[in-house]
Amino acid sequence: MPKSKAVKRSQPREHFAYDPQKVLSKLEEYGRRVLEDIKSGKNPYFDIPMRGLGNVYFDEKRKVIKMGDKLSRRYFLNVAHARKFMQTLLIMSYVKRLVAEGKHASLREAYYANKHTIPGTKENTFEDQRESDPIIEDLERMLGVLREEMHLTADRRGYIYGDIVIRDGEDEFNTSKLGMGGWAVPGTVEHLQFVEVNVDYALVVETAAMADRLIEEKFPKKENALIIATQGQASRGVRRLIHRLHYEEGLPIIVFTDGDPYGWYIYSTIKQGSINLAYLSEKLATPEAKFVGMTMDDIERYGLKNVTEKLKGIPPNKKGGPTGDYKRIIEEMNYPWFQNKEWQRQLQLALKMGVRIEQQALANKSLEFVAKKYLPEKINNGELLP
Amino acid sequence: MAEAKELFKEFKIQSVSEFFRRNAAMLGYTGKIRSLTTVVHEAVTNSLDACEEAGILPYVRVEIEELGREHYKVIVEDNGPGIPEKFITHVFGKMLAGTKAHRNIQSRGQQGIGISGAVMFAQITSGKATRVITSTGDDKIVEAWVKIDVDKNEGKIVKKEKHPNPKGWRGTRIELEVKNVKYVRSKQGVYWYLKLTAIANPHAHIELIEPDGKLIVFPRSSEEVPKPPVEMKPHPRGVLTDDVYRMAKRTRRNTVRRFLIGEFSRISDKKVDELIKYIAALRLIKTEKDKAVQDQLYERLMNGEVDKVLRSFKGYTKVVKQVAKLMEKPPEKLSWHEAEEIVEAFKYMKFLAPPTHGLRPIGEENIEKGLKGILKPEFVTAVTRPPKVYSGGIPFQVEVGLAYGGEISSGFDLLRYANRVPLLFDAGSCVTTLAARSIDWKRYKVDDLERAPIVLMINVISVHVPYTGTGKQSIANVDEIHNEIRLAIMDAARRLQTYLSGKHRRLYQVKRKKTFEKYVPEIARALSILTGEPEEEIKNYFLRFIEMKFAQSESEERAVPEEVTENA
Repeated sequence: MPKSKAVKRSQPREHFAYDPQKVLSKLEEYGRRVLEDIKSGKNPYFDIPMRGLGNVYFDEKRKVIKMGDKLSRRYFLNVAHARKFMQTLLIMSYVKRLVAEGKHASLREAYYANKHTIPGTKENTFEDQRESDPIIEDLERMLGVLREEMHLTADRRGYIYGDIVIRDGEDEFNTSKLGMGGWAVPGTVEHLQFVEVNVDYALVVETAAMADRLIEEKFPKKENALIIATQGQASRGVRRLIHRLHYEEGLPIIVFTDGDPYGWYIYSTIKQGSINLAYLSEKLATPEAKFVGMTMDDIERYGLKNVTEKLKGIPPNKKGGPTGDYKRIIEEMNYPWFQNKEWQRQLQLALKMGVRIEQQALANKSLEFVAKKYLPEKINNGELLP
Repeated sequence: MAEAKELFKEFKIQSVSEFFRRNAAMLGYTGKIRSLTTVVHEAVTNSLDACEEAGILPYVRVEIEELGREHYKVIVEDNGPGIPEKFITHVFGKMLAGTKAHRNIQSRGQQGIGISGAVMFAQITSGKATRVITSTGDDKIVEAWVKIDVDKNEGKIVKKEKHPNPKGWRGTRIELEVKNVKYVRSKQGVYWYLKLTAIANPHAHIELIEPDGKLIVFPRSSEEVPKPPVEMKPHPRGVLTDDVYRMAKRTRRNTVRRFLIGEFSRISDKKVDELIKYIAALRLIKTEKDKAVQDQLYERLMNGEVDKVLRSFKGYTKVVKQVAKLMEKPPEKLSWHEAEEIVEAFKYMKFLAPPTHGLRPIGEENIEKGLKGILKPEFVTAVTRPPKVYSGGIPFQVEVGLAYGGEISSGFDLLRYANRVPLLFDAGSCVTTLAARSIDWKRYKVDDLERAPIVLMINVISVHVPYTGTGKQSIANVDEIHNEIRLAIMDAARRLQTYLSGKHRRLYQVKRKKTFEKYVPEIARALSILTGEPEEEIKNYFLRFIEMKFAQSESEERAVPEEVTENA
């Protein structure tokens, strides 16, 4: 029984697409190319899209941060590249085994599994996880394959609660039947299948405390919503899950964060992707996500002035400024995706008022306030920021 | 006046031996080690000079036999031209009477005291005569025992034998018995001296038998006998009053003018006319009482304004005429004062640089051969600078050889030579040492000179090497010589630098190659997993590829491959 008028599920636009075979064939293709090169006396290389700010741009049409086409060529016969070339191949062969055997490994496991002393030297194949992690990122960009699709996982963070049924390997469960703690989102969500989705939208919540509050107040049931707790910056698993729920299940995504630069950045990352993972924006970002709060307007509207906190740092009009929160806000004002009236107004307002407001500040009204009044009111009225 | 007569007589009797005793240091006989080296030096030098003049490739054998405590027999044998019987006493017995004394010629030997000094030293330390065995290659070999008659300053043959010479042997062997000396294999000893001699004389084959019977051979590395030096007329800027005075007494020319033109280099008729004006000017300047004006005039003279200086004096033509007359008188009538005037005027005049054809450098090629043959380095280079002039008129020339690595042990060694003669003493004050130390070796890829396997040899050649002391073991720090040595060293050092950077590059290439090779097993294993091809085969592909690329780069002499920067 959908209650909401403003927020509606739409038609799926992407299909469950995980195919281990695709990963394997890509790895083999690259390996074979290197072999062909060396056989014909050519210096084998990998072309790896460059990382960093210099190679990202904002795709206005698709509204996501995307990676440019600058490549760096990693040769075997180059003193500066040889070691990384070797490391790339080591990880590639490791991934092949993982995927072929249907096993997953954490980044740390991948590091230890591939670390050993090179015979006849005192040198290790990897000295540090800081050497193996970037190689894995390189592979993602080079092969256009997610780390998760390569069965390499990061630490899990974030959980969901709501009336959806998920198939995870041999298990099938409804995430609203797992107790108040919901279901922890794994590092890899690629293989998950959504058997049933009985919610109208997904509410992405920055803090676990707020998510817990909403669950206790039975918000998911009453509002027919799925709660997704990111627990700070959304992990790749959570972002990928949001993306999949939106595109494969047509779930509207509404983001609920603190009213401060960090909260807005979390929103921005979910929506447009990040510079760091620009090459994954197509798979991680959800440009159609909307923002419910906290906004600066809420302070006035709900009389929360006494529960705001001062922004940190020096304001732009003061000597030495802007720093801290002020600086972040001004940076965010310059993001291409915040170039709209509503957001500029919010950010401008924050600068002017010099305050921030947390989600939990709503408890100042009452514990039920957020679940009974704040969220239903704003969401059902469609009072959302783009 | 009997007493005085007696006294005078006694004085005369002791003169030569007294001279020798008092000047033993000057002749190189100080210290037990050095005295032995000097004896060997005199004999070997004579052998080399004799061979050179006769155009013979020298074969010199030195044998040191220990007869007792600080008591040795020194035997030096050569394959030189031999000494005609009647000259034996002359060669070995007479001091201050060599063939080269008083000649303006580059020479190894000193003042003709050389070998007779050694004979004298043997005689006064052991009391023994020097045994000489020599033949000019004819049918007889002469064996003579030579002593010096101290009274008469003459050689005296105390015993003589003649032997048939069926095999036509030619050469000279001398045996000196010396006491109060010591054989030590130190840097001032015979071994080191002969080693240095061999380096500077690559055309000589030199052997040494040490007291313990050990034979050391410094083989010949060049088949070319150096041309003997030629005599050069003195340059006006390089002479002293005494030279001019004595030369004037001896000359056969009939006027001073002809004498100056004929016996000096770079003096022409026109130069003598000029000289007249300079002498006149100097005479006139001396008449000036005001010291300040005098100094000013000297300075103007130095600047070549001789005519203006003359004209500033009234009646100067009279003085010029007087001086002109001087030039037309017989040279033997030239007074000491006049000679003095001439030499003083020379100092103000300009002359062409002296001729240098009399200088006989070892030559770059031969230095390299010498260093290579004896030291067996991995790199060697030599620089022979063009002749230059110091103190206005004395020609000199500097040569430098630089050897690096190979069998050279680490630690910088400087081999000093003057006219090819090794200098073993007083290194600290020598211009060669000062110049070598003034080089910033780091600029030439020699990071730590004290630990670098480098041997630097420096040979200063001149008809008049400016030694610092009577020992003739150290060359004075004359600016012109210092500069030339520096330039020569820097030139050689630049070549060493090129060699070293090439060597570093090659080492670097080897290191690079290893960098790639060490990753091959890892890569092969990974690629084998990825493609299913056998690991060993993949390994071979890679190794062959590396081999090919490096062979290619070596032939192209450039780094492989084009490095593409990768972002971190």
